Amino acid sequence: MSLTATRAARERARAARDNRTGLLFALPWLIGFAVFFAYPVLASLYYSLCSYDAIRPPRFVGLQNFQRLFFEDDLFWKSLGNTLYMVAFGLPVGLIAALAIALLLHQKLRGIAFYRTLFYLPSITPVVATSILWLWLLNPEIGLINVALAKLGISGPAWLTDPAWAKPALILMGLWGAGGGMVIYLAALQDIPESLYEAASLDGARGPTVLFRITLPMLTPVILFNLIMGLIGTFQYFTQAYVMTSGGPQDSTTFYALHLFNQAFLDFRMGYASAMAWVLFLITLACALLVFKTSARWVYYAGEER
Amino acid sequence: MSSNPLVTRRDLLRAALLPAGAAALAASGCGRGLQRTADGRREVVYWTGWSGAELAEQEKLVAQFNRENPRVRCRILTQFGQSGYQKVRIAFAGGATPDVMSTVWAEELAGYALRGVLTPLDDYLKRSGRDLDAEFTPGVARMLRVGGQTYGLAVTTNTAFIAYNRSIFREVGLDPDRPPTTTEELDRAAKLCTEYEANGSFRRYGFRPGSLQLWAYVFGGQWYDVASGTVTAAHPGNLAALTWLQSYAREYDLRRMQAFQTTFGSDQTPSGPFFVGKIAMWQTGEWAQEFIRRYAPNLDWGWFALPPPADGTGRTNVTPAGGSVFVIPKACPDKEAAWEFLNWLTSPGPVAQFCKGVHNVPPLIAAAEVDPYFHTDPLYRFCVPIAQGENAFGPPPTPVWPTYSREIGRVEEKVMLGGADPKQALEELQRRMEKEQRLVGEDLGR
Repeated sequence: MSLTATRAARERARAARDNRTGLLFALPWLIGFAVFFAYPVLASLYYSLCSYDAIRPPRFVGLQNFQRLFFEDDLFWKSLGNTLYMVAFGLPVGLIAALAIALLLHQKLRGIAFYRTLFYLPSITPVVATSILWLWLLNPEIGLINVALAKLGISGPAWLTDPAWAKPALILMGLWGAGGGMVIYLAALQDIPESLYEAASLDGARGPTVLFRITLPMLTPVILFNLIMGLIGTFQYFTQAYVMTSGGPQDSTTFYALHLFNQAFLDFRMGYASAMAWVLFLITLACALLVFKTSARWVYYAGEER
Repeated sequence: MSSNPLVTRRDLLRAALLPAGAAALAASGCGRGLQRTADGRREVVYWTGWSGAELAEQEKLVAQFNRENPRVRCRILTQFGQSGYQKVRIAFAGGATPDVMSTVWAEELAGYALRGVLTPLDDYLKRSGRDLDAEFTPGVARMLRVGGQTYGLAVTTNTAFIAYNRSIFREVGLDPDRPPTTTEELDRAAKLCTEYEANGSFRRYGFRPGSLQLWAYVFGGQWYDVASGTVTAAHPGNLAALTWLQSYAREYDLRRMQAFQTTFGSDQTPSGPFFVGKIAMWQTGEWAQEFIRRYAPNLDWGWFALPPPADGTGRTNVTPAGGSVFVIPKACPDKEAAWEFLNWLTSPGPVAQFCKGVHNVPPLIAAAEVDPYFHTDPLYRFCVPIAQGENAFGPPPTPVWPTYSREIGRVEEKVMLGGADPKQALEELQRRMEKEQRLVGEDLGR
């Protein structure tokens, strides 16, 4: 009796010690999380209710920042509209392009690894370098794109200097980075069991049927992943506009994150920018939740009963 | 489990924390007390916003100061680029400012001054026997004062003018020795010099005016009334300027003009459109001379001041004033040493040397006398009096100016490219900036 009791006590002590050790090992991360993540996030929630210029202490102003955002800042709505445009058009185009490239490169060809590398390369080029390169490609008069269009007898648009074409130009440029998504699709394509294709071919299924009945359904978890990551990334679209257009022409590329950045670091309205950040967070969260909710209907997980 | 480990957990933890703590202490650098160098001199840390050739010129001056001054030693650090200027705000927020800095734009001065992070310099100026108004050009002196106190000093200013290609003038029948003196003449010359290709795109264009902010002054307008502290965005002169700018949007396809312009290099490369004769008139400043000397030495060119309208409602010889401003943060622990350095750096000799080195106009009247270059070089003979004139306008001393100035740019774009109505656009700007001023005032008044 007493032997088991001491053993139990020793077990408990050991578990406690293990916990302590575990915590100690996790401590650097925990401290980092608390200091560099949890605290700033909570602080920004408080600042969003303040007037705060980063020099003087924040002054509590209640919902004034939000009131200004929704009712007095025309650029808030404009930038939100610009960002939603990218979400609605840029994101699907990018997803489909990445998938299409992955399907093309999922072939047993000689030198396929070379082609895969080729398509992946642009997505590891720094965005700033890519952006400056594309500034030249998109030059209305001497850019390669319009020169090529002219050869086909098409007079190309003014791209980045035309408010109507600036966002499509950025979407076009975004396709260059499709390699990132492509790699993930490629990995998923290799995970699809060969037996499914064999069974399908025995049943007489051909190209499009195989694609829509086997490949795409099996890829849906990865599509969901890319969609969610893309959604979050697109809502934070910033660097390209910051480098290439500074938000112009006529605010057509002033995206939400750029407007936020300008408010925070040009005008030093830290409170206002914090409010903007929280609004963006809620919008992104709502969209992500919506996607998750609907995903039950279109995402297939192997081993799941349907 | 070993009961007697060679290294205890505590040791490990201590070892991990020690360098981290030391690094944090070293990185913060705040709460600096009086700094002394090894040879016992007081040390002044100076953040400069200049880089490249301009930084080299500043370093030369700092080296000279360090050689000549037995008491104070200056250590110069460059914080260049847009992020360098943003770093300043963070430094103020964290109380980790240097002793002297030039990483403040003139347009930001009022905001910093009214937030109480800058040292007023009037007492120091007085003690050193200096007089802001007597020494500096009126435009620069006005810009350095906020609420009656001096918060910064400048070592450079600029003169805006229009450079023109004399060969093109001759070619189209304009007298190259009599450049436009009114906006009407400018418009006519611009039209004469413009040539189109068969498909309607430009072969060459005459002139594309920019900066409503500046042209408003040429048309007799103003953006801010210092005496009453009120926003005057809807001033009739501003409207006249914007309406005139709009006339260019009506006369020319600005988008095509812009596209045409981008086919050439920037204005700092040999293929800049003015250098290769693709634009006849170019709104620029005194620094352009250096680029023309370097990239288009055979260009036959001249210059004229921004011309006012013929009806006499405008101002002649208008130019912006401004650039980087030197300040001493309030948190500086050794203001005497900081002033000793700043006082020397803003004296005529060093200012003349720096301006000549970086191809800017000296904002100190005496500096222009130190070096005969400013009187013998034909362009400087033209630029110096304009910079020293009454119609040099720096950023008005209001904390909303950085926002205001950007919004003026948006209004200009909306009218020029978006077809907005000038009067409505300016009235809306007036309302918004009044509100902005009130909100910032509430913040600063507490």
